[in-house]
Amino acid sequence: MRAAWTRDVDWPLVAATVLLAAYGVVVLVSATHGAPGAAALVRGRALHLAVGTVALLVAARLDYRRLAAAAPLLYAGALLALGAVLVVGDSRLGAQRWIALGPVGSVQPSELAKLVVIVTLARHLDAARTLPRLRALVPYAVHVAVPALLIVRQPDLGTALVLLAILAAMLYVAGARPVDLAAAAAGGAALLPLLWGALHDYQRRRLLAFLDPYADPLGAGYAIIQAKIAVGSGQLFGKGLFAGTQNVLRFIPEQHTDFIFTVVGEELGFVGATVLLGLYGVWIWRALAIAAGARDRLGGLMATGIGAMMGFHVVVNIGMTVGLLPVTGIPLPLLSYGGTSLLATLAATGLLLGIRARAWGARG
Amino acid sequence: MTPPLWSQRAARLTIVVLALLLLIEGRLWVMQAVQGPAYLRLSEQNRLRDYVVPAPRGVLYDRKGRPLVTSRAAFTISVLPMEVREPARLAERLAPLVGLEPQEITARIAAGRQRPFEPVPLRRDADKAAVITIEEQRLDLPGVVVQAEPVRHYPLGTHAAHLVGYLGEITEEELRTRPGYRPGDLIGKTGIERTYDAVLRGHAGRLRVEVDAAGRPVRVLGREAARPGQSLVLAIDADLQAVAEQALGTQAGAVVAMDPRTGDVLALASHPAYAPALFAGGISAANWRRLIADRALPLLNRATEGTYEPGSVFKVVTGLAALAEGLATRDTVFHCTGALRLGRWVFRDLAAYGTVNFIRGTAVSCNVMFWTLGQAVGEARLYRYATMLGLGQPTGIDLPAEAAGLVPNAAWKQRVWKEPWYPGDTLNMSIGQGWVLVTPLQVARMMAAVATDGVLVRPRLVRRIVAPDGRVLAEPAPRIDGRLALPAAAVRTLREGLRAVVDGGTGAAAAVPGLAIAGKTGSAENPRGLPHAWFAGYAPADRPALVVVVFVEHGRRGGAAAAPIARAVFAAAAPTLLAATGEVSRP
Repeated sequence: MRAAWTRDVDWPLVAATVLLAAYGVVVLVSATHGAPGAAALVRGRALHLAVGTVALLVAARLDYRRLAAAAPLLYAGALLALGAVLVVGDSRLGAQRWIALGPVGSVQPSELAKLVVIVTLARHLDAARTLPRLRALVPYAVHVAVPALLIVRQPDLGTALVLLAILAAMLYVAGARPVDLAAAAAGGAALLPLLWGALHDYQRRRLLAFLDPYADPLGAGYAIIQAKIAVGSGQLFGKGLFAGTQNVLRFIPEQHTDFIFTVVGEELGFVGATVLLGLYGVWIWRALAIAAGARDRLGGLMATGIGAMMGFHVVVNIGMTVGLLPVTGIPLPLLSYGGTSLLATLAATGLLLGIRARAWGARG
Repeated sequence: MTPPLWSQRAARLTIVVLALLLLIEGRLWVMQAVQGPAYLRLSEQNRLRDYVVPAPRGVLYDRKGRPLVTSRAAFTISVLPMEVREPARLAERLAPLVGLEPQEITARIAAGRQRPFEPVPLRRDADKAAVITIEEQRLDLPGVVVQAEPVRHYPLGTHAAHLVGYLGEITEEELRTRPGYRPGDLIGKTGIERTYDAVLRGHAGRLRVEVDAAGRPVRVLGREAARPGQSLVLAIDADLQAVAEQALGTQAGAVVAMDPRTGDVLALASHPAYAPALFAGGISAANWRRLIADRALPLLNRATEGTYEPGSVFKVVTGLAALAEGLATRDTVFHCTGALRLGRWVFRDLAAYGTVNFIRGTAVSCNVMFWTLGQAVGEARLYRYATMLGLGQPTGIDLPAEAAGLVPNAAWKQRVWKEPWYPGDTLNMSIGQGWVLVTPLQVARMMAAVATDGVLVRPRLVRRIVAPDGRVLAEPAPRIDGRLALPAAAVRTLREGLRAVVDGGTGAAAAVPGLAIAGKTGSAENPRGLPHAWFAGYAPADRPALVVVVFVEHGRRGGAAAAPIARAVFAAAAPTLLAATGEVSRP
């Protein structure tokens, strides 16, 4: 049995995960070195990695079908946690996203909610065999909309958008007609003006700053301009670890969390950034390959949701850093600082390994 | 067996996501490989600041090498406009620390936006408490920099204020007309500081500093040292200057002491004065308003910029002209009856001195005698001799804003007053009344010409230009503006008369035992109040080495108000004068 389990391990995925986590530690050290509290941040990352590894192993051993069976419980728990954030959450940087849990530190329920949505939506979609019409998509949209709206309230637009991306990917893989998905997307776009009114001031400023960062170079546009300067000035081979002036001199706000990619771009250059993108590419490729090779539709949908989640995070996070997309506060998985995010990503990796092991096991 | 739909679609999704990653990869290639060098320059600009390091100005020394004006270290609080995020809020916080109104601060920041990395000075010579407060609040005050910058130091207080002058921030106008200066630079506004600004200012250095995002300096990457300005050794004798100022006391007026042989100005006093130190760190608006509103005109250098009626001091011109033109000799007899009739008018003198010769008439300053001489000389020749002696034109001293004064003639009167010149005008002019206006320095130059038998010397304040290391860079020779062709006998007679003025005449109060002094007093009627008092003289009478001119505004009588001040200056200089010339005291 043990031998079979190791044989069924998806080694490229494991290697990509380990290398990304190691990459993350190195870059975190560089991003925070010399800053007050840097040692605590690195110790925190080590602890998160340890806890995350346990979560990965547990998730890999867990039968995803039994996990799916607990869907109503998980969904209710997630909504409860998201609701709690709005009531008792910690405020940081103007948003309530964390719940303090005493000695354990603080937890960001929205990060875990993404996983819960993937698992429960997979179960929900698995129950329906066909998705013949646009109308048939509505229940799934509602399934995702409820937690998404709670997350928007925090406010955390970025994470809510991740849920939409997961929904779209899973609906597509579940068999929804592309024309229906396109229609839904068009409908959503039509609602954008309404959304503009619902946005917070700072979110509107960010979107405007994306269109023209130099309109407000010291305000909303500041981070975009400085991030581009950092990445661009890294050139082909980078300025060297710990030698990025933009990084070391703190020209980038949030450089160890949402803007961690600027450190990679500046200090390790095009080569370092390409290696990083390559590792993410391997990770996503393996996730979707596991989806394609899953033994059942449930596992396939879950793996798709996880692959979509990773893909969206990577594309949007790096896209905003290089000025392709508006600034949206979402982390770069395995690199950005943040315990819950790391835990969720590693648990998701564990789920993927479990799905893959069971697919192979079934065939063997 | 075909794979299930979800499997096919998952595979297709892989392609979509990987394509997006490739798109990002392409974007990275453009940014890092293609535009990388441009971004690198931007990142350098971000972190590098080139600060201007002001050079210490040169020192002003007196002729004996004693410092009159030096520089001392001080702190200047400035802002870098580029790094100011919220000018209004910053201005609120800085206002009490730099002593400016918040609106003034925001205006200066806005004005500096054109050169966003050049510090805009808000407060020079800031007090220590303000500097410490700013350093403590660094993080909350992005864009504020504190730089060491030398400011002027005046070890002698108000001493020689007018001749050294003061500094001020360069104006827009001056920036346009003087190349090589930057906004915010301090520049000499008056006095020696202005005339020799280019020599004194030196060359600013540069400091290349790496800064963090908050504008805090992290380390120095390079520096080009500032080169201090050159120093000046002035002709001024600080001791004599002090004596002159003290003798003048609280009276408004001026004292000029000059070596007639070289033009070296040994003392140049003007009262009331101001404290140049008020300007050292940038003068406050309140102090400036107070200075310019003061009706005693403390900013006016009365020795070079004030023009006054010369009164009887002008008789030197009349007497010399008459003697040189052969219209009188030493022994020509005049009947000083106390009045002179001219047609229907009677010109009255202060007193009747009886029958006098030229010497006696000069000693007692007999108006009748000078009217008579003036009549004989005539308007045209009076004008010629006055201008020949340097009146009515700037002396060319190395100070800015020197006044020209005025010597009238018929053409001038016709032009300005649209009236012909009357014989009475000649009488008035011959005793220094009417429209004649002179500066005390012009009178000193005139006396110097008499003392040197006709050498018209140019007064000067700077004897040597000295490098910071003490090397003498320039030592200009005295400038002679002209040698007047005067008959020796005429000059001799005039000088004998001037000698008699002090030796028992109206200028007796200027006498110093053991030192032969020649001179002329003056009491100049003027439309603005009591007569001005004058004394102009030189010593030793036989081999003159020092000219002293004293002017006391509304001092009434030259002999009473001005001569004693001259005596104090002559007395102080007597030991040097006697030693240098080998003059043996004669009673």
